[in-house]
Amino acid sequence: MITSRAVMLVHALVLVCATTFSSAQAAVFSTADYLSQADHGTHLARVEAALARDDVRQQLVALGVSPAQAEARIAALSPAELQQLNARMDEMPAGGILGLIGAVFIVLLILEIVGVTDVFSKI
Amino acid sequence: MPFFPQSRYQCGPAALATTLWHSGVDVDAEALAPAVYLPAREGSLQPELLAAVRRHGRVPYRIPGTVDALLEELTAGRPVLVLQNQGFAALPRWHYAVVVAYDAHRGQWVLRSGTEGRRRESHALFLLGWSRAERWAIVTARPGELPATVTPDEALRALADAEGLLRPEAALAAWETSLSRWPDHGDIRFATANAARRAGRDGRAATLYRQLLDQRPAHLAARNNYADLLLARGCHHRASTVIAPALEQSPASPGLGAALRDTARAISRAAASAPAISPCPLGD
Repeated sequence: MITSRAVMLVHALVLVCATTFSSAQAAVFSTADYLSQADHGTHLARVEAALARDDVRQQLVALGVSPAQAEARIAALSPAELQQLNARMDEMPAGGILGLIGAVFIVLLILEIVGVTDVFSKI
Repeated sequence: MPFFPQSRYQCGPAALATTLWHSGVDVDAEALAPAVYLPAREGSLQPELLAAVRRHGRVPYRIPGTVDALLEELTAGRPVLVLQNQGFAALPRWHYAVVVAYDAHRGQWVLRSGTEGRRRESHALFLLGWSRAERWAIVTARPGELPATVTPDEALRALADAEGLLRPEAALAAWETSLSRWPDHGDIRFATANAARRAGRDGRAATLYRQLLDQRPAHLAARNNYADLLLARGCHHRASTVIAPALEQSPASPGLGAALRDTARAISRAAASAPAISPCPLGD
């Protein structure tokens, strides 16, 4: 685990060096760089994003996504979304139920509306 | 508007297919499932829905979580994809649906939801489930189209996140639409200038950078990019005049500082090796 983490760190550093050198030719400061500098130095943000990208890819594969699909899916995520998924994928809502409202829920809702309980305002 | 009924657990792809179809993308729920469905969670995550919208060349905008915003988008003819929690905090039941109409006469919302093409929910029931999902609501738009209720900061974020997956011309059209709605928003003007340059519209980019620097001379990132553009077009003298004030200020981040130094060095090198093109093709 420690080794794979170290490998990822090296990848991230290589990425940062590559982008730094390429920016010596065209030193345009992109909109994405500009918006991400609010919280971090751009290079630090790039290291974090590269690490988050690898972690999220592994988590998606562990949850049943094919490696090729996982790659395509993370490529369309923003750096902030990658970090959010990396930090709390387990707690995030996964919308998937059929959308038929359960009988228990309806009963509780009616009780709530007629003022018998206040279960909704408490939760 | 067609309806894509969901199969087991797949309300995410189904809801997404409905809104994407409405914004002109020919795709069905089955084709979207590999892009958003997470088998072990038996559902789809919000950021992955946004990512899938971008992969189809559309921009996902989060709209304010208010009834007024929902009504305004519906009035403008845009369906709204919402997350609902039809359970409790301790036992959540997350569900995606698409709001397609409000029946003011009966006080009911009409949704494409699960296997129902026209599900009606009372206002109280709808509001409860939506509120427990932090009133998350998105509109998927074509690049040149901007939902009525989006805030400028959300437009900035949504477009910045999507533009890497858009063709340069489409990205520029999207930014220009935002800029015409919020002409005084400096960051949107900066982003539009960058997009213009990426689309090969150097003249437009130069105008936008110049206007921004007139309004906000201390916008160092704009100063850097304008100088880089001038340099690329052979206007060394103008480039060095533009970059000079930035070198005396402290940049907001190490990355910006490095970019400014790189640009200044490249300008000096170019000035030493070749004469500037006169007059500068980018005008004043």
